[in-house]
Amino acid sequence: MIEPYDWAGGREAMLRFGPGSGPVVIAALPLFEEANRMRAFAVSILRSLAERHGIAGVLPELPGTGESLIPSERIAISDLRAGFAAAARTAGGRAYSMGIRSGALLDGSVVIRRRWHFAPQPGDALLRALRRIHRTDHAPGYGGHRLPDTFLDELPECHAEPARTIRLEGDTRPADRLVPGRALWREPVPENDTALAVLLAEDLAAWIRACET
Amino acid sequence: MLEVETTVRGVLRDVLGLSDDRVAAFDEGTPLFGALPELDSLAVAGVLTEIEDRLGILIEDDEVDGEMLESFGTLTRFAAQKAMG
Repeated sequence: MIEPYDWAGGREAMLRFGPGSGPVVIAALPLFEEANRMRAFAVSILRSLAERHGIAGVLPELPGTGESLIPSERIAISDLRAGFAAAARTAGGRAYSMGIRSGALLDGSVVIRRRWHFAPQPGDALLRALRRIHRTDHAPGYGGHRLPDTFLDELPECHAEPARTIRLEGDTRPADRLVPGRALWREPVPENDTALAVLLAEDLAAWIRACET
Repeated sequence: MLEVETTVRGVLRDVLGLSDDRVAAFDEGTPLFGALPELDSLAVAGVLTEIEDRLGILIEDDEVDGEMLESFGTLTRFAAQKAMG
């Protein structure tokens, strides 16, 4: 179901899954081209949460991303965070965040019960990745996205807030749990992994149940 | 070293879209850059970024050359030296 939400800069849309009451998971996709690779996967997680665990979820289109009418060269990190917070307020209920990759940078200024991150990517690592793509593909912009300098300047200072953190096996950074799977955000052709989505939905559901008691 | 090798193997699998069987057969002498058509310059950028992320290391542009990317062995040794400081 598609619903609107209002934030200070206008109106955007969000996809809603599951029941209209109880805890609700607010999902943040990664920024830029990784968002396209992770959208179907995020939807699979939210669908599994709703259908197998009866937990609601929303996937907002944040300002300047996806179907938003605001061009990417006009966005700031603060706009993305404000959009995420507004979507969480609109979703109502007891909100929990689900940040995927650099989406984990967007739930810092939202009133939320707890945070859950999958393979979070800090701002300085995202900036290095963007600059490397920029140098490599010899084209204006960053992998097809035009970004303001202020956005890039903000990135090194962007960190993920403390959260339950899940990473893929083979990742040596601190994590609460390692799961088997491929880095879908790197696949040359966008893929989904429904088995991993079901596994992550189970982890989210168990964690939310523990947080609620 | 084994942990780094497992990580590099996983990164090549994911970024280049290779099968588990194919990367499992990679050994020290398996040629990479110039031998794998999937490994173009954008894929190299993805491989370097993903190795940085998973191993918590930084790779500078001037460290990246044909020798480092020549084989699975040279790439793994480079990453291991970085990871061990």
